Amino acid sequence: MNEVDGRATAVGLTTSGAAQVSLVDILDRLLGTGVVLAGDVTISLAGVDLVDIRLNALITSVRADMARREGRMP
Amino acid sequence: MSAPARYVFAVARDLQVAELAGTHGFHGATIDVVEHEGLSAVVCDVDLEEFGEEPLTRNLEDLAWVERVARTHNEVVWMVAAVSTCAPLRLVTVCADDDSVRAKVDSLRSDLEDVLDRIEGRQEWSVKVLVPQRPVAESPRATPAASGADYLRRKREASDRRRDLTEEAVDAAREVHEVAHDHAVASRRLMPQDPRLTGRTETMVLNAAYLVEAQEHEAFTAALHAAGEQHPLVTVEVEGPWPAYSFAVLG
Repeated sequence: MNEVDGRATAVGLTTSGAAQVSLVDILDRLLGTGVVLAGDVTISLAGVDLVDIRLNALITSVRADMARREGRMP
Repeated sequence: MSAPARYVFAVARDLQVAELAGTHGFHGATIDVVEHEGLSAVVCDVDLEEFGEEPLTRNLEDLAWVERVARTHNEVVWMVAAVSTCAPLRLVTVCADDDSVRAKVDSLRSDLEDVLDRIEGRQEWSVKVLVPQRPVAESPRATPAASGADYLRRKREASDRRRDLTEEAVDAAREVHEVAHDHAVASRRLMPQDPRLTGRTETMVLNAAYLVEAQEHEAFTAALHAAGEQHPLVTVEVEGPWPAYSFAVLG
């Protein structure tokens, strides 16, 4: 059951590559890392708070999804 | 539309601006490049009714909004990284106007140059090690326990299998990380992703990013493939190349 998934072996970055990345992987990077350049619109939220927001938002949405799916079960 | 502001996606060096034709920002906005003494900030107009401080705090609670913005941000960064050395910015960096963008780039110039030096000619790869949540299933010929002693023996064996799996997973994560690290110029461990977010049943025991020389990527993936084969109980996932998000941290 071992599997090494080297999906994009080409060196180039492509738009289709961007589309394949999961939202969780994107948020791992867009919220946790990257250059922090304080903008003029200061959202006075530290990185940790953003992660909390993301977790709350995602978990809420996952739960809502599950509830909907369960509701539809025969 | 209220006063537009400038959303900053990334700061790049050696950017071929013409290559960004066809790339759009939020709501189809034109991508612009603010040049400043050799560095290029990649920006687009945004409406403060959507990206102002108060709307932002509300919108960040809305997963559909976060996803739309994160995906657009990612796509723009991806295109910029394809045609330049690109330091991606964190999500939702909003400046009043181009002069403000220049002033901010100026204030961080030496740090930005350090980041760009670090990631030039290199790309980020994601490596994850996942372990099945359940212990390895008993053999299919399993029959009901014949006695109390038999039942206890089976329980003990199941517990041993679970322990073996945990040890195997820890060993695998360590070895995979060491192999990846040896083939990379830098590495960064990220938090294992919560199964509630990934929707996967496996437990993530390694979630890491590696900065790899562009021409070394085949050696990198081959080494990880070999490392994965040493640990058949776990799944090793290698994804990339990605823009160097995890290595564009200042300081």
